Amino acid sequence: MTLRNASTATLGRFLAVVTGLIFLVGCGSSSGGGGSTPTPVANTVAVEVNSGPTSLSVNMAFADVTICMPGTTNCQTISNVELDTGSSGLRVLSSAVNLTLPTITDSSTNVLQECFQFADASYTWGPVAVADIQLAGETASSVPLQLINAPNTGFAVPSSCLSLGNGVSLNTVAALGGNGILGIGNFPQDCGGNCTSASAQLPSQYFLCPSGVCQVPAVPLADQVWNPVVLFAQDNNGVLLSLPSIPAGGQATVSGTLTFGIGTQTNNALGSAQVYATDAFGNIQTTYPTTNGVSYPGFLDTGSTGFYFLDATTLGPTGIIECSDAPGWYCPSSPVSFTVTNTGTNGTSGPLTFSIGNADTLFGTLANTAFNDLGGDSGTGISTDYADFGMPFFYGKNVFVGILGTTAPSGVSAPFGYYAY
Amino acid sequence: MLFLGTAPAWAVLGEYESSVSLDQQVLRGEIRAEVRQGYKLHQITSPNGTIVREYVSPDGKVFGISWQAPFMPNLQQLLGSYSTEVQQAVQSRARRNRGPLIVRTDKLVLVSGGHMRFFRGRAYVPSLLPNNISAEVVQ
Repeated sequence: MTLRNASTATLGRFLAVVTGLIFLVGCGSSSGGGGSTPTPVANTVAVEVNSGPTSLSVNMAFADVTICMPGTTNCQTISNVELDTGSSGLRVLSSAVNLTLPTITDSSTNVLQECFQFADASYTWGPVAVADIQLAGETASSVPLQLINAPNTGFAVPSSCLSLGNGVSLNTVAALGGNGILGIGNFPQDCGGNCTSASAQLPSQYFLCPSGVCQVPAVPLADQVWNPVVLFAQDNNGVLLSLPSIPAGGQATVSGTLTFGIGTQTNNALGSAQVYATDAFGNIQTTYPTTNGVSYPGFLDTGSTGFYFLDATTLGPTGIIECSDAPGWYCPSSPVSFTVTNTGTNGTSGPLTFSIGNADTLFGTLANTAFNDLGGDSGTGISTDYADFGMPFFYGKNVFVGILGTTAPSGVSAPFGYYAY
Repeated sequence: MLFLGTAPAWAVLGEYESSVSLDQQVLRGEIRAEVRQGYKLHQITSPNGTIVREYVSPDGKVFGISWQAPFMPNLQQLLGSYSTEVQQAVQSRARRNRGPLIVRTDKLVLVSGGHMRFFRGRAYVPSLLPNNISAEVVQ
C-alpha cells in the first residue's frame, strides 16, 4: 500500500469527526507496490541553474513541471519552477496556471487556504488546489498543491501570516524569482502531524475563512500540501540531484538532472554515496573543530543561495569577514577552505570540504548565475548558528534526499529520512 | 477554533515581564521561570515542540527573545514596536540572499533562520541588556 492510500483512509475519519474538509477529487492513486516489479518509466528531468524569469537569480535550480486536471489529459507545463530540498510540496503562482483546478473545501465550500512561511519570514499565500503532477514519466495523482496568490474574495490575509507585514510576500514572479517552488525535501507533507489539530498550529498555517473571518481547521495529512514524489506510483522514496562541477568564480549557467527514486532503477543507485539519516527536524549534525568544536544543526537546501555557515565573528580567526556593502555575505580577501564533519543519526560520519570566496567579487561577474563558493552568516552567535549547505554544496555531486517513512537503504536506520552524497 | 482577530497581544520585546504570561496563553505552553545571575529567564514549552525563551532584566523589561519551533513565530507580535526595524531592513534586503534574515541596527539585533519545520532565531535590544550581561545569554 502506498503512503497515499494509508492517509486516504485516515481522511475519512477526520472528514466525519473533526473538520468536514472534503477532498473534492477522488484519490485515484495507483499503487506500484504489492511485490510486483513495476515497468520502469522515464525518471529524469532536466535541471538548469540560470538567472530565471527575472534575469536576477543566482544559484537557483529550475525545472519544468506539468500539472493536469485530475484524472484527465488536460495538462499544462509550468516552466522555471525552483527546486527546493528545504521544503515539501508544489507551489505555483496562480498567474502561471491556466487550468481551473479543483480546490479542497469544507462541506460549506469554504476553500482551504495556506500561509506557507519560510525561515526568513517571507511567505506564500493562497488556496490548496488539487492536480495530477507529471515529472518525466512519473505521475502523482490528485496532489494537493498551493496556488500562490490566487484571487480571493471576502477576506484579508490573516495577520498571523503577515509576520513582518506585506513586504516579505513571495506572491509575484519578481519576488519569488520563478513561477513556483517544487519542494522535494525529506518530509511527505509540508506541515505534518501538527496541522492535523487546530490547537497545535501556532501560529496557524492552514485556514478556512467563512464569512470573511479566517479560522484554523484541523487538516488531515491527506489534505495538506504534498511532496509529489512520494505519491508517484514508483520511484517514490526520494530524489537524486546531479549537477556538474563548476569553477571557482562561477559559471554562466549549469545543466544537470533530477532523478526520481533511490535504488529503484539503474540510474539512481546510491553507489558510493554515504547515507546520513536526518533527525525529526530534518537535520544532520555538523561539527567544525577548527574554531570551537561545537556541533550545529546541518541541512542540505537547494533553496538557499549560499553556504550559510556559522557567523563572521565565530569564523573571524579563519579570515572570514562580512562584506562591508552587503552584510550577511562573506567577503574574505582570499578564498577560505573549511573542513567540517557531518554526522547522521544513524552514526555515519564523514568529512566535507568546501570553500568560501569573496561575495563582492563573485557578484561582480555579472554574467555568472552559479557559484560554488558563495557564503554568509547563518546566525549571530553559537546559539543560533547552523550549517546550511545551500546550492554551492550541490555542484559536482550526486546528492540523494530520502523521504521520511520510505524504506531506508539496507542496514540504515533513517525513520525521518536521510541525505546521501 | 481559534479566532485570530481576538487573539490577545503577546508579550513583546522591550515591554514588562507581566506580559510574559500572555505568551504562555497564546502558545498554550508550560512556563518555567529561572533566576540567573543578573537576569531572569522564562521558558515556554508547547506540546507542538515550540520553545520560546524570554529574558528579563532586573528592572523588569524583556530584553531578549529566542525561539525554536516547527512554525515560524509571529515576529510582529513577539517584537512589538521593534518589528518596524525589521520591516525596514527587509525592504532593503538584497533579493539575491535567500538565507537567514539578519538585522543589526542600533536598536535591535535579530536573526531568523532554519527551514520548513525547523525555525530558530533570536532578537535582543542592545540598550536593554543588563549591566555585565552579554548578548550571548539570549539563546
